[in-house]
Amino acid sequence: MSMDSLYSSFPRGTAAAEGLASCHTCCKLAPASNHRCPRCGSALHLRTTDSLQRTIALVVTAIVLYIPANVLPIMTTTMLGTAEPSTILGGVVLLIHHGSYPIAAVIFIASIVVPTGKLMAIIWLCWTVSRKQNTSREQRTRMYRVVEFVGKWSMTDVFVVSILVALIQLGGLLSISAGPAAIAFGGVVIGTILAAESFDPRLIWDQVGNDEEDDEERIEPLLASAQNNGEAR
Amino acid sequence: MTLTHPTQIGCAECDLLVTIGGLSPGERASCPRCGHVLMENTPDGMTRSLAFALSAALLLVMSMCFPFLSIQANGLEQVMTLPRSAYELYMDGYLSIAILVMGPIIAVPAMMISALIAMLVAIRRGVPAPWLVPTGRFLFFLNPWSMVEVFVVGVLVSLVKIGAMATVILGISFWAYVVFSICFISALTNLDRVLLWDRIEELAG
Repeated sequence: MSMDSLYSSFPRGTAAAEGLASCHTCCKLAPASNHRCPRCGSALHLRTTDSLQRTIALVVTAIVLYIPANVLPIMTTTMLGTAEPSTILGGVVLLIHHGSYPIAAVIFIASIVVPTGKLMAIIWLCWTVSRKQNTSREQRTRMYRVVEFVGKWSMTDVFVVSILVALIQLGGLLSISAGPAAIAFGGVVIGTILAAESFDPRLIWDQVGNDEEDDEERIEPLLASAQNNGEAR
Repeated sequence: MTLTHPTQIGCAECDLLVTIGGLSPGERASCPRCGHVLMENTPDGMTRSLAFALSAALLLVMSMCFPFLSIQANGLEQVMTLPRSAYELYMDGYLSIAILVMGPIIAVPAMMISALIAMLVAIRRGVPAPWLVPTGRFLFFLNPWSMVEVFVVGVLVSLVKIGAMATVILGISFWAYVVFSICFISALTNLDRVLLWDRIEELAG
């Protein structure tokens, strides 16, 4: 495919359709034929290279790591010589038994709901993009923003374990040590953050105008407003 | 501080071509299609950012030097400092967890603040500085890996967990770190990526 027909495959009004690539580090707009950003020297791409493949590979890695993260103990409490390993879910159950519902909720949301929800959301985004589905682009973009924002919050439990390990060292009376699930869980968090980074949200908008009549109608006023955005707002 | 001249940029989230002109202080430009904030002209953004970054640097050093938390149970006392927390994990044979914890809460923010202070001082003085370009790239490369605010929540959760077993005493470093997290986040939110790079381009030549 020649460069010109590649550029014209993108919807009207986008930078890519004009053969311009936006630098992901410094936001500079430069001709896509440059391989490096003329301002900051970062690699320049029209779209993240192999975005969907990379994202799916990282998602699969995170899912695989999520198994040991839940099955193996995340920490071991040794009380008067008796060692008691506990898993992430076991810790939540224990907190509920002790009546600490808010803390149980925080750990449950950060360690179970956020990572699984995030993985499902990324898979769904990849699926809708690869199938060229026309589900609301605004909603999918909003979903991407949420995924990007919540990613790091899953680290909460790993931080809690590290604090407990450092603080609860009362010799034979009571001590806490970290378990292998903490490493696996850290891997899950890193995997999902990298997956969210490698997913290019612009792919969601790349089929606009090519297959939808209403999008075609909406694009004209949009292009007009895009040209005087600075003055208008 | 605003852009030197009207600039065309591609929205990072939907790639729409948008021209941003002069924004007066307090104004923000967002993408007319997907709503992504393209640029925000925070009043005195860079000055505020520098002030917050300097406070954050001081507070981060403080949070490393004093007791973070301590516990008392059955006459035994245990004091925890942040470096000790890393050491304890390392002694347990979990070097990887020590790096996984200390990286995002101490090392990454420390490098980001150093980069930020160096860049903002150079921009204020307006001297040509080619090193601004690699420093700027370094800052935005590190950005997704700082987890300062998550650690603060982690500490609060552990306080409640420990509270059931022993009496917890909050140390000077704990307060320093909480205020540090606020300053650190304020330093970053007052800084606009487009405006920063506009200045860097001017000075790096």
